[in-house]
Amino acid sequence: MLWYKSWLDTRWRFLIGFVLLAIMAGGIVASYNVSRSLLPALASRPLDTSTTAGRLLREAIQVQQTYRGFVWVQWFRQNLLETGTLFAILLGSGGVVSTSRGGLFTLSLPASRRDWMLTRAATGLGEFFVLATVPSLALPILSPIVGQHYSVVDLVAHGVCFFVAAAVFYSLAFLLSTIFQDVWRPLGIAVGIACVIALVEGLLDVKGLFHVMSGYDYFTSRSVPWLGLMFSGAASAAFLYGAVVNVVRKDF
Amino acid sequence: MSDPLAIEISDLRKRYPGGVEALRGLTLQVPTGSIFGFLGRNGAGKTTTIKVLLGMTHPTSGRALVFGLSTEDAVASVAIRRRAGFVSEDKDLYDAMTVHDIIRFTAGFYPKWRSDLETRYLRSFELPLARKVKQLSHGTRTKLALLLALCRGADLLVLDEPMSGLDPAISEEVLQALVRHVADEHATVFLSSHQLADIDQIADHVAIIERGRAVVCGSLEDIRDGHRRIQIVFEGDAPALSFRTPGVIRTRRDGRVLTVFASGAADAISAEAQTFNPVSVDVTALTLKEIFLESVNASVNAEN
Amino acid sequence: MIFRPNPSLGVPIYLQLMEQVKHAVETGALRAGEQLPGIRPLAEELVINPNTVAKAYRELEHEGVIELRHGAGAFVSAGAARTRKLADRVRVARPIMSAAVEKLRAKGLSDEEIRRLFEAELAGLTKAGAQHE
Repeated sequence: MLWYKSWLDTRWRFLIGFVLLAIMAGGIVASYNVSRSLLPALASRPLDTSTTAGRLLREAIQVQQTYRGFVWVQWFRQNLLETGTLFAILLGSGGVVSTSRGGLFTLSLPASRRDWMLTRAATGLGEFFVLATVPSLALPILSPIVGQHYSVVDLVAHGVCFFVAAAVFYSLAFLLSTIFQDVWRPLGIAVGIACVIALVEGLLDVKGLFHVMSGYDYFTSRSVPWLGLMFSGAASAAFLYGAVVNVVRKDF
Repeated sequence: MSDPLAIEISDLRKRYPGGVEALRGLTLQVPTGSIFGFLGRNGAGKTTTIKVLLGMTHPTSGRALVFGLSTEDAVASVAIRRRAGFVSEDKDLYDAMTVHDIIRFTAGFYPKWRSDLETRYLRSFELPLARKVKQLSHGTRTKLALLLALCRGADLLVLDEPMSGLDPAISEEVLQALVRHVADEHATVFLSSHQLADIDQIADHVAIIERGRAVVCGSLEDIRDGHRRIQIVFEGDAPALSFRTPGVIRTRRDGRVLTVFASGAADAISAEAQTFNPVSVDVTALTLKEIFLESVNASVNAEN
Repeated sequence: MIFRPNPSLGVPIYLQLMEQVKHAVETGALRAGEQLPGIRPLAEELVINPNTVAKAYRELEHEGVIELRHGAGAFVSAGAARTRKLADRVRVARPIMSAAVEKLRAKGLSDEEIRRLFEAELAGLTKAGAQHE
């Protein structure tokens, strides 16, 4: 019954995220032909590479000359990254035993708080894993339609990088939901932190969480960013543990 | 294997961060099979006590045992909730579920779920199965919460102000269901309430809590027998007397009349009163309401 | 036949129940050998604590008004003499009561004052009675 309740609480976010990401993945594949025709025109335009923006743009154009590069830039570095992170935060928010409607009823049932929390954490994480990996299957499946091929090995590697790194945001939202009573503050704070990290990484060229998430190291040199993944895993575990401890100790 | 005491609370204290002391050494015992009325003013600590019993709030110190199990032990607390039904003050339920769904959901947690009780109460409470919980009227919602508590086959029912906001007809339905459950299932009922008339009607034990402490606790009959109003009339203005006999809650002077409210030893106090040469000494019974008001006020005055 | 006791009267519910049973016996509504409602069904019907009903029945048995037959239920005691004695007592008491009430009314007491005096006497007597037990 604990699993069922967790599913009831998260299912709409999961289903909407799944459909959205699946459509986006399909859209990426579908847009390849369009971008392929645009790219040469863009590549030939003069660009001021002395600015960071200019340099990045030139780099992006060059990388997207290949299909693999195109998919990486559009999907793993941008769309999946942004939308996926958002849904990681959404799935982690909401609270399990909230003081809003139903909280005391939940607590009156013969299940420990620890079991409630662990079940909810696992359910949300499992759902996020599906979001992080399954819609991406559209890539190897649909690519032949535009005459391209996307390697499943690449898919798996990028999927793992994305899932483990983005799970940090899931866990953060989960923890924040045990600190704040309402549903908006954990959401807002987690999104805010994500934006700040993204800004810092982008502007100061720091190789941080989003760097790991996009699988940059794997894309450029096929080396899995083990250290980054380990730190991410540790951070997620710490956040989730903190969340459980918070709720177990709390007075309702 | 049944304990003589369904609930045993010893010197329970709860201090919230910020300094508010909700419970300041509460001690009470609830005998198994009794209907126990838990009375007190708003903010006296009733809800906090109930939450401690069900493991929803952690006490600062002291001990609470339900069925002999400690409420602070996580495993024991789950065991307690397997045998106890709860109705919160706000009738907290899952608003988004339908009546049918929440019943089936709750039933899933209790291997000893009583389908016979479920059928009976669905019919007598007239609960609309397909309607969402949030659409139910207050009275119907209360009845649903009660059904969910009763059908667990609970040995103990804990209810926080169950009768609040109910019209007399539904109120009577609730009381009837409680009496029936106690009679048929040999369950214990622990309910906090402001409706003294209801407590008078069905409770056999009572505790009055004031500012986090029990000021009265025991069988309702003993409490009623012990509490007396002793009216002493004097020839002239009533003197300000202090009685050596214990049991005086408070005294009130009004012209030639000295009124003594006693929690016990009314005869001894009357005898002592006679030594002051009054015109008359008159002993009358107190209603539960008067006992409540006097006990609570005395406690307030004692603190100030 | 047995109607709801009034908790706010200041008289314990079990005493009210006992009075009702005795009154029913006196008026003939309950006859010797007839069965009383079971403790649990009666408690459910009157919506009062089953222990209260049990206590009333025990006291009634103690006073010899009813018999509790194990497994079978509660029955009004056999003995028309007993029943008649109760009815006799009531018959004798009634004129005493009317006379007293008339006298007090003549002295200018209101019915409310008479009632309070009466209850005070009873409360005092109950305590005294318990002492002599």
